[in-house]
Amino acid sequence: MNNFTKADADDKRKLLKARAIALAKKPEKKEADEYIEVVEFQLAHEKYAIQSNYIREVYPLKELTPVPCTPQFVAGIINVRGKILSVIDIKKFFELPGKGITDLNKVIIIHNGLMEFGILADAVLGAGQIPRDIQASLPTLSGIRAEYLKGVTKEGVVVLDAEKILSDKKIIVHEEV
Amino acid sequence: MDKKEEEFLNKLLSMFKTEAKEHLSAITEGLIELEKSPPEKQTGLIETIFREAHSLKGAARTVNLKDIESLCQSMENVFASLKRKEIAATPHLFDELHHAADYAGKLIFGEAEPDISENAKIKEIIQNLQSAVKGEAPQPQIVSSPPLTEEKPGTPPATPETNKVLKPQTSRTEDKPRSIETMQPSSSAETVRISTTKLDSLLFQAEEMLSVKLAAGQRTLELQEIEVSFAAWKKEWAKVQPEVRSLVRTEDAHTCVSSKLVDFLEMNEAFIKSLDNRLMALTKNAEYDNRQFGGMVDSLLDDMKKVLMLPFSSLSAIFPKLVRDLSHDQGKDVELVAEGEEIEIDRRILEEMKDPLIHLLRNCIDHGIEKPDERQQKHKPPRGTLKLAMSAKEGGKIEIIVSDDGAGIEASRIKSAAVKRGVISQEEAGKLGEQDALSLIFLSGVSTSPIITEVSGRGLGLAIVREKVEKLNGIVSFETQSDRGTTFRIVVPLTLATFRGLLVQTNGSLFVLPATNAERALRIRKEEIKTVENRQTISINGQIVSLVRLADVLELPEKTRSIPDENVQIVVIGFAEKRIAFMVDEVLHEQEVLVKSLGRQLLRVRNVSGATVLGSGRVAPILNVNDLIKSAVKVTATPVKAQSGIEAKAKRNSLLVVEDSITARTLLKNILETAGYNVITAIDGVDAFTALKTREFDLVVSDVDMPRMNGFDLTVKIRADKKLSRMPVVLVTALESRESKERGIEVGANAYIVKSSFDQSNLLEVIRRLI
Repeated sequence: MNNFTKADADDKRKLLKARAIALAKKPEKKEADEYIEVVEFQLAHEKYAIQSNYIREVYPLKELTPVPCTPQFVAGIINVRGKILSVIDIKKFFELPGKGITDLNKVIIIHNGLMEFGILADAVLGAGQIPRDIQASLPTLSGIRAEYLKGVTKEGVVVLDAEKILSDKKIIVHEEV
Repeated sequence: MDKKEEEFLNKLLSMFKTEAKEHLSAITEGLIELEKSPPEKQTGLIETIFREAHSLKGAARTVNLKDIESLCQSMENVFASLKRKEIAATPHLFDELHHAADYAGKLIFGEAEPDISENAKIKEIIQNLQSAVKGEAPQPQIVSSPPLTEEKPGTPPATPETNKVLKPQTSRTEDKPRSIETMQPSSSAETVRISTTKLDSLLFQAEEMLSVKLAAGQRTLELQEIEVSFAAWKKEWAKVQPEVRSLVRTEDAHTCVSSKLVDFLEMNEAFIKSLDNRLMALTKNAEYDNRQFGGMVDSLLDDMKKVLMLPFSSLSAIFPKLVRDLSHDQGKDVELVAEGEEIEIDRRILEEMKDPLIHLLRNCIDHGIEKPDERQQKHKPPRGTLKLAMSAKEGGKIEIIVSDDGAGIEASRIKSAAVKRGVISQEEAGKLGEQDALSLIFLSGVSTSPIITEVSGRGLGLAIVREKVEKLNGIVSFETQSDRGTTFRIVVPLTLATFRGLLVQTNGSLFVLPATNAERALRIRKEEIKTVENRQTISINGQIVSLVRLADVLELPEKTRSIPDENVQIVVIGFAEKRIAFMVDEVLHEQEVLVKSLGRQLLRVRNVSGATVLGSGRVAPILNVNDLIKSAVKVTATPVKAQSGIEAKAKRNSLLVVEDSITARTLLKNILETAGYNVITAIDGVDAFTALKTREFDLVVSDVDMPRMNGFDLTVKIRADKKLSRMPVVLVTALESRESKERGIEVGANAYIVKSSFDQSNLLEVIRRLI
């Protein structure tokens, strides 16, 4: 009990200091971004949300041209004002079983500096705010692997991690014959 | 404030770099030209280079690059002496000047070595230049004070170590020396410097006008169709018109209701007729607009393309120096003759062609042209000639020829090199004809060079050439004659963005095939399809061409097609001497096509090179001809009747293929993969056993004769292993002897297939039975 070494005391002090710094910072940060802006959409009777700052626009799905020799999750390509953009079925990408009839009529175009593509949606429910500290992902509930999730809200909206999806190497198609 | 200043300095520096690049290349070009020109033309050239060096010096001073400044000063001094004819232009002097210019370039573009040696290097170069000005006496003085006053007129010219290989003073009448004007930087009053990104975005927008033009055409077509349906209405109306007239005459006898009806009918007629007239006028206007608009878009696109066209010389300007340096290093004497430098090409194609051309030139110097003494023995002039010629071809294509008058390429050497590098087996090499053997040079890893050098020997150069050229939808070929030389011929399109495309429909989807590769589209009768060795073929002009369904190659979902058709629509695709006929449902028409990329997520898709927007607004994938042919070969590798392959696909069993010959390995892999198996390969028994330990497999297919561990030993090892002992093993071998077969059974192999009786269905059947 009494044989405290100097090293132990040093460690203790360091730890306490770190805690102090962390505590000192947290409140102001929490105030600044307690909520995140999201766009909610529906896909096959489930509600999803994506952070607004990753969304370039919501585009009506008029015509989708399938591209041969692409993986299942690539739904096709669309023409957005002269630019060709690929459209992804995130349910297939997450390897979720497709259930129910869906009336895909919207494409949500998401982007970060390096990647850009559209994702299929049945309907866009609107923009909203969700608390930043939502319930950590419950993979069993949504069936989506935790790595692509930000979490699930109290209302059961699955909040997708757009950055993870956009920067995922698996989403890039690069195949030679 | 500081940040702003820093930003400004950075901007200034990048501007300086652009400028310096121009000056340096003008200096280098000028030096090359000067070395070749007869004395009477030299004065003008010297003056030009002198001015370039002076401008560079001035520019360097503004950004405070002292080293560049002093380098330029020394060069200026040399040119000043040359101008006054105080010293003569010796090859050694040229070397020094090139050296100085090169080093200045390295310093500016940040490729130079660390500081310490840098300073020493600059001192050395400056010293060398100064001693050149003064004759040969080495000068201890380093700082570049203007040494003009110290010069002794009439200093003896040549330095002792004059290089014997290069003879600069010989006048060459056959090549036209470039005029002085062309060498001056293009900063005359009529030009403006615009960044290429701005130009590219402008081109993108101009190209976008093409889809507007196509849409306008589509609208006109729709209007015309409506007019046709009006004609049908007129016909019907004409039939009932007499009756309506009679109704009008008897109007009074009838009730009010019918009178109203007749009025309405008459009004309807008048209304529709006026609509028809208005429609006709509208269609006329639309047609006129369409023509007008089409013409404007075409000329806009044409001009826009011209803006992005650069003369071939903008690329070839770097080659004389390259050739000079390379041949110099190898003790060879090579002259580069360029033709067609004034021809203009799309900048994007030019950029893509830079590397291939450098590889080809290197190849010619390294392998083609012999050393001077060797050439003399062969009664050839000691100086080798390397020709780089560019010419415009019909159909919007250009041909680039790189030829040398060197030793030529020997088929036998290529063969042995290919065997040595394991690209083909000895046995296969024996069967190859001369032409086939020669075409091996385009394969990666084949090089006749006995050692790997800085310049060549890795066997990658020509493989890169072919890849790059094919990527541009071009073709590369070559001819060679022993001791007469080798000629490489590259044909690439003049522009990239638009081309003629053939629109085809299959399984309900539209696709675009490049019209240049679609040799012909025709309908054939079903009876004309012959099945040869389980593969469908047709005969076109006496040539047997294999036939595949485009839908199969593109892996499109099977559609239920009920109407059995007597005729089959096919498109024959040719690419680099290969021809394959593709079955489609319908060939629609040919049209202008604007290539668009598939977006960032679809970086490369098998068989699809891009997409285009049709006049109707629909998007159609553009097919990649090179891929299509490769995929078609794979599809035909599976016999038509091997339907069971599809069943196997569902299970996706994993096979390990063990084979030391790369060709056999690839063949087996292809066969098994097309039959729906997951295939992993190993190069010998040892490699295979490691793979078996790290992964799960359902079956092993192994060669018998292999280095390190042969197939028998591998089987013994598998059977002895606790975990692997039940693994099915199929031995595939060239050894057809009873003893070896017995040995195979003895070690516990499940099957023993002799290669000579090796047909695919046999192997596939055996595998299916074992899993």
